[in-house]
Amino acid sequence: MTRPSAHTLYRLLLTGAAVVLMLLAVQAFRLGKDVQTRLEALSSAATDNLQWTLSQAEVDFLKYQRAAARVQGPSDLRALRRQFDIYYSRIATFRESSSYAGIRETPEGSDLLEGLRQGLNEQAALIDAADETLLSRMAELRQLIRDEGDDVRDLALMGVVLQAAAAGDERGRLHQLFLRLAVVVITLTFALTLTALVILFLYRRGQRLAHLQAQEAARTEAMVTSSLDAILMADEDGRITALNGAAERMFDYTVEEALGRPFQTLVDVDPTLIGQASVAADAGDGRIQLTAYRKSGEALPVEVSLTISRSGGSPVLVSYIRDISTRLQAEEELRRARDDALAGERAKDKLLTVMSHEMRTPLTGILGSLDILEDGNPSAEQVRYLQAMRVSGELLLHHVNDVLELSRLEAGAEPEQERVFDLEELVGSIVDSQQANAARNNNELSVFCSIGTPTGVRGRTRGLQQVLLNLIGNALKFTRDGAVSVDVLRGEADVVEFSVADTGKGIAPEDLERIFDDFIMLDPSYKRGSEGTGLGLAISQRLVRMMGGEISCESEPGEGSIFSFTIPLPPAELAEPAQVAHTQTGQEARSLLVIEDNDINRLLLEKMLTDLGHQVVSAAGGAEGLDRIAAQRFDLILSDISMPDVDGMEVLRRVRAEKLAEGIDLVALTAHAAAEDHARIVKAGFAEVLTKPINRAALADLVARRGGGAAVAPPQPDQDSDIAQFVEAIGPEKARHFLAEFRSDMQSLNEVLGQSTELTEGHRQEAHRLAGSAAVLGFADLRASMLAIEQANTNAMPNLDGLRQAWENADGLLNRYVGR
Amino acid sequence: MKRLLSALMAVFALTVSLPVAAAEDDIVLTLRTDSDSHEFSIADLRAVGERKIETTTIWSDGLQEFVGVPLDRLMAHVGVDSGTLEAAAVNDYAVEIPMSDVRPGGPIIAYLRNGETMSLRDKGPLWVIYPYDDGAEFRTEEVFSRSIWQLNRITVK
Repeated sequence: MTRPSAHTLYRLLLTGAAVVLMLLAVQAFRLGKDVQTRLEALSSAATDNLQWTLSQAEVDFLKYQRAAARVQGPSDLRALRRQFDIYYSRIATFRESSSYAGIRETPEGSDLLEGLRQGLNEQAALIDAADETLLSRMAELRQLIRDEGDDVRDLALMGVVLQAAAAGDERGRLHQLFLRLAVVVITLTFALTLTALVILFLYRRGQRLAHLQAQEAARTEAMVTSSLDAILMADEDGRITALNGAAERMFDYTVEEALGRPFQTLVDVDPTLIGQASVAADAGDGRIQLTAYRKSGEALPVEVSLTISRSGGSPVLVSYIRDISTRLQAEEELRRARDDALAGERAKDKLLTVMSHEMRTPLTGILGSLDILEDGNPSAEQVRYLQAMRVSGELLLHHVNDVLELSRLEAGAEPEQERVFDLEELVGSIVDSQQANAARNNNELSVFCSIGTPTGVRGRTRGLQQVLLNLIGNALKFTRDGAVSVDVLRGEADVVEFSVADTGKGIAPEDLERIFDDFIMLDPSYKRGSEGTGLGLAISQRLVRMMGGEISCESEPGEGSIFSFTIPLPPAELAEPAQVAHTQTGQEARSLLVIEDNDINRLLLEKMLTDLGHQVVSAAGGAEGLDRIAAQRFDLILSDISMPDVDGMEVLRRVRAEKLAEGIDLVALTAHAAAEDHARIVKAGFAEVLTKPINRAALADLVARRGGGAAVAPPQPDQDSDIAQFVEAIGPEKARHFLAEFRSDMQSLNEVLGQSTELTEGHRQEAHRLAGSAAVLGFADLRASMLAIEQANTNAMPNLDGLRQAWENADGLLNRYVGR
Repeated sequence: MKRLLSALMAVFALTVSLPVAAAEDDIVLTLRTDSDSHEFSIADLRAVGERKIETTTIWSDGLQEFVGVPLDRLMAHVGVDSGTLEAAAVNDYAVEIPMSDVRPGGPIIAYLRNGETMSLRDKGPLWVIYPYDDGAEFRTEEVFSRSIWQLNRITVK
């Protein structure tokens, strides 16, 4: 029914029928006209009775002849003349009348009539003459009349012939007419039959269509009625013209109440939007979120689709309206749940950052001080204690670093720069460093390295080192009285395959899947203290992937495990080996600038760099640092990032903008380990970023790389508290001075805060500065209180009790040094 | 002799003029009803009423102008409104004219053709003329047969 070809066929049929009917109509009209003409011709005889006239001519002639024969005297002339006149007029009719044109047109008829006319004229001359003349010439007249007798007879006979011919013609015409009439009638009958058939067909088709349409309408009606969406229709003026049951329920109006109401009273839609409904629908999915109003005035959020439909010329607005309050509510709940989850995630990140700050900064003091202690001739016993301290400190730092490393890797930190190094030597030294560890569990640790020569490769030392340490450390940890072997083989192309095999307890197959997940400790009850964070393998996996490799594990419980990983390490020409070891070497002194607002950190850096044999100038802030840079040329500039007023970024910007130190590297110092911070800092133009706490080796390495030389002092053991270490580091005289200053700064901050009702930016900056010093001096509580002030969410003055308590304790300790 | 001559001349003139036309007051039509008999000269007919018909006829060539007395007026004049008219000509040709033809717009008894009286040779002096050009109903064989010329008497039956 809806197939286009069938549709076309019907159209063609209809068109054909119409054409046929039209042709028939034309033909019928023409034939009708013809018939009418013929009938008219039949009904209106164009001729008088020809035969009557012809025979009458002879009768009149004979009467005339008899009258002539009877003439005896003048009294008979009247009758003669009268008969002549009648006869004359009869013959005249032949000459004049159109009915006798047939006779006149034949040569015989024409001659005959002409002869008769001449004869009549001759007779008329006699007839019209005086009675005496006529009487005297009667014989002559009679002779003329006699002569004419044959002609009149001929005329009559000719009439008979003509009449017969005319009648024949007429019959022929009639025959033809009726023949054509018959044809027309047959054609008409046929056409009418055809038309009747077409009409019947059309009627049936119409019925079928009507039936289908009724079904369609019923279906549409059912759809509209059962639609869960409210459907509103409005006319051009925005008046509602129709609505369905769902709309009644949604808006609380009955149909009667709703009809004629402005659309806007139900749905708060911008009238201009209605005009652009089709446009809006084209633009998106056509659904707009709007507010609808029930009869009670209650508002509900709805999703509306507006369409302009043109039915019968005038536009009709059709809108589907869906109550989305439940959906919005669900969305809101979902959003809240997501926000909560994100907030939790952020809290975790925050915790990690805080850990970094809280734990690394004190470690700066501990490890930095250890370096310094080792420089000043400790006794053998002191060296032992110092080493114990270093091991503890480094272990602690290692754990903190694990967590931070994971967070850093997770945040997509900038990968470490590739360098050329001696792979065999690196693996060897790692294994060496773990021999003591191996011995503890009575394990035999061996290495087999077969990478051919040269042994130099290009890669990321720190990452590789960390992965190997993790794997070897794990193997040693879970193996007792066994063996751990490290194999390094060059595989295809540039790939190097590492494997660490142990004869330990092995890993159950079901656990193999998850050993690379975060915070996984398969045996938390294992008696090895609280050592380890469960992050080692997770970090290793991430590092290996970052280096473009894969890590895997095979294990047989009770037999042992093999961890292997492959990473691309292309062979490379080794440069002169840059030994960064604990050996004192005579180094060229470099001129260095340290910009650091925290007094204690600045003192430590100054001391460490001076000990390395460099000339150090320090500045307590960005502005001062810029002055120094302008005044003097340095080989390397180290700058803290977060400083009040002119911060590290600003220093860099101005140094570069004013070309104060062309060709000189600026290195950033920061306690923030977050990857995006590093990326931001490096992007700004810093040569590299040094994360606090900074140890002596890293500093030496940095100056060697960036400043053209390095000087590394041997570790010097020391044992003292944070303050003692600080005092030792910078000398008693200087230390006392700084401690006194710190003390007076703290006291004045305390007073200022006590007198203020609101926190100012100045308060926050001072708290930040003093928090750094407090950390170095080991006043954890005091530092926490300061940070609370610095990072307070509002400007309202916080409770200062904690700060006061912490300061009292710290002040007691300080007294011992300042008072000395 | 002189008087005789002038008398002859007068007779001659009379006879010569004879075929031309009937005189105005010659009796040209006799009308008989059951009870009465009326005689009409052309002047009498003219007095009853006059109507002009311009038409072609099947007995002549070209458009003709006839002037005559409408038949209905004439019948009204003599008080006839029913029956059949039997019209007869000089040569005794006769035909019946039904009263249904006697109506306004119907036939006239013409006495002028193209502004002139009609001689006997010219189908005069009276000729029943229908307005043939006015409609097909005036061009039937019946009407043609009723168009009697050289009319000289009508009898109402």
